[in-house]
Amino acid sequence: MAKEAYYCTVKELNELGRDAIPAQLRSNTHLIYSSPATLAFNSPGAEGFGVKRAGLAVPDSIMLIVAPGCCGRNTSLISSMREYDNRFFYLMMDETDIVTGRHLKKIPKAVEEICKCCEKRPSVVMICITCVDALLGTDMERVCRKAEERAGLPVRPCYMYALTREGRKPPMVHVRQSLYSLLEPKKKKGNVVNLLGFFSPLVDECELYDLLGSAGVRTVHEISRCKDYEEYQTMSEANFNLVLHPEARFAAEDFHNRLQIPFIELRRLYQTDKIASQYQAFGRVLGVEFSDGAYRKKAEDAVAKFKEKRPDASFAIGECMNGDPFEMALAMIKYGFRVPEIYGTLTAENFIYLNQLSKLSPETKVFSNMEPTMLYYDPEKSGVNMTIGKDAGYYHPEQPNVVWNQDRQPYGYAGVTRLFENLLEV
Amino acid sequence: MRGLRKYLTPFAPDQSGAVSVLYELGGIIVICDAGGCTGNVCGFDEPRWFERKSAVFSAGLRDMDAILGRDDRLVAKLTDAAEKIDAGFAAIVGTPVPAVIGTDYRALRRMCEKKTDLPILAIDTDGMELYDKGEEKAYLELFTVFAKEKYEVCEEKVGILGMTPQDVSDLKAADKVREELKKEGKEAICYGMGDGLEAVEKAAQVSKNIVVSAAALEAAKYLEKTFGTPYETDYPAVKELVPDLDYEGKKILVVHQQVMAEAIRQEILRRDASAKVQTATWFMMKKELACPQDVSFREEDDYIDLVKNGGFDIIFADACMEKMVPDFQGTFVNTRHFAVSGRLCE
Repeated sequence: MAKEAYYCTVKELNELGRDAIPAQLRSNTHLIYSSPATLAFNSPGAEGFGVKRAGLAVPDSIMLIVAPGCCGRNTSLISSMREYDNRFFYLMMDETDIVTGRHLKKIPKAVEEICKCCEKRPSVVMICITCVDALLGTDMERVCRKAEERAGLPVRPCYMYALTREGRKPPMVHVRQSLYSLLEPKKKKGNVVNLLGFFSPLVDECELYDLLGSAGVRTVHEISRCKDYEEYQTMSEANFNLVLHPEARFAAEDFHNRLQIPFIELRRLYQTDKIASQYQAFGRVLGVEFSDGAYRKKAEDAVAKFKEKRPDASFAIGECMNGDPFEMALAMIKYGFRVPEIYGTLTAENFIYLNQLSKLSPETKVFSNMEPTMLYYDPEKSGVNMTIGKDAGYYHPEQPNVVWNQDRQPYGYAGVTRLFENLLEV
Repeated sequence: MRGLRKYLTPFAPDQSGAVSVLYELGGIIVICDAGGCTGNVCGFDEPRWFERKSAVFSAGLRDMDAILGRDDRLVAKLTDAAEKIDAGFAAIVGTPVPAVIGTDYRALRRMCEKKTDLPILAIDTDGMELYDKGEEKAYLELFTVFAKEKYEVCEEKVGILGMTPQDVSDLKAADKVREELKKEGKEAICYGMGDGLEAVEKAAQVSKNIVVSAAALEAAKYLEKTFGTPYETDYPAVKELVPDLDYEGKKILVVHQQVMAEAIRQEILRRDASAKVQTATWFMMKKELACPQDVSFREEDDYIDLVKNGGFDIIFADACMEKMVPDFQGTFVNTRHFAVSGRLCE
């Protein structure tokens, strides 16, 4: 028994191509190793914004989790956060419920009862259901309509179906659709834009706000910045949506079909030259030319300042952070740093970056956090002296780590600036 | 309404209890789920997970695996892991998904045994029972599979059954129990908390078992029947759970798992026999360990009503239950129960 963690170099992976990704790097072919590095994968509700937290993004909403006790167990981690106090309720299922489906009949009454015990009338009740109802084929839309009639307020389903994680519409895609499904059509305003994709705001200093302002946009809506339900409803006045996370694509399509609001998709990048090209392309669509030079310079100055202090920086980059580890690794290498190791889930989309990485740093190793042999990962001889991401920090406890999974979303040049300021601090 | 929770988050489920028993024993633990249950178990219900590596895996079930009942894929994945991981056994722990599709755990065990050289434990938890039920199943499976050989009894050795963080809510509890027994010239064998698979295999060596949780009672009975090992129920480190208060003539409610609650009652009565102590539990209530006035809670209102109408002066319960009875005027002693709040003793 080798007792060694499995990896492939980017060169090997690039040669194999997107259709021949080794089984060890495909999560559906092996058991999923559970370490603190994979918590975000294993428990979408436990870390960051999983279905449960995300489902409560609508201001003044509450959630009823209808599931076996085990599905709601870790919610107490979230409910201990002040903003979620008294917002989670549970209707626990037992074996008889599963056999007879009687729990569905109880939901309208339960909704009515929890609304009565809330100090403030909720704006909406989200009903969160889990794998069990996925298998039972529950028509939760219908149950929600019944509950709406009884409680007299909007009730929406929220699907925490871990079983469909790698399907066409995974839970985090679905929840984004649910959140915006409450919006009613409104008269459009030419100077209003919605940012879709995250459940918390972009960092305040993000240049995107200024750039949109320079293009004549007066109001930028983000669901997490809406103070109340009324403000949330004004999101349907937007002229267009900016999709900042690919999981919001379905929601954006919904916006388009239901409210006739078109969308433009932008990526989160850490390569300043690519950020510049993206803004140029975005500007062309809007018919304006963005002047982003000052922001770019600030970001590149932050990179240079860090490089001056740590020219020898050699990174391990994980996936439990706000970014694509392969894109970030490429950015780091282009900035002149070393990246010996990446911990990530390889998809066909990452091959754009792998291709470039294989030319610039062919020996960079790619590990999968979820592969069973990660139990034997040994940081000795890795050559890593700094880490980015919670998972990377877990594998290299002796090295300085920037967790980089904060709720406030880093984006664009501001994201690059913040990242390097953080790296400088550690 | 039955099953509706407004104050308390759901308690640790049976699958968490099963993993808690097996966690330190050096096996491959496969939670038969889509991923969420494993995250719940590891990220929340297993406090040791952040401190020490363990081979806990999710089966990574997907919708088509469940719909088509593709057990062969799970067997193949487990076999693959068994070839790569150095382990003494493999355990398959059930969750709601296999419960819904009616997975046959015995068949799964046989299929896995044919493909690997490892002993296979199959624990048919379903995520709808409470942690103690899962522990009970895991203890029985564990001792049935591994404690087969008879050894000469060593008088100094005392087995401690039911020691899991879920039950004792303290990661140092095993050391404390060892200390207590050392004072009596005994050596405590804390199965699953410090003592590993070898200790389980040599379970026949101990002169008696002390059962610290009702979840381990059936295992104790099994060991008594198989090796003639006597057992008693108690929690040797109970003293530190009972603060110095005036208990004289006081009416006291203790809410915990049955054995712990009883140990606290006995400790209070030892300090002041005039106290009137009632115990209650959200978890399994074994008839042979219960007193007539002991209470079983099922719904939140059961606890709220008992406190409202019970006229108690002191309540021993997890702090998360304090907010449920805002009008309670007496003394509330925070007695952590990890399976309830997910918090350890401070």
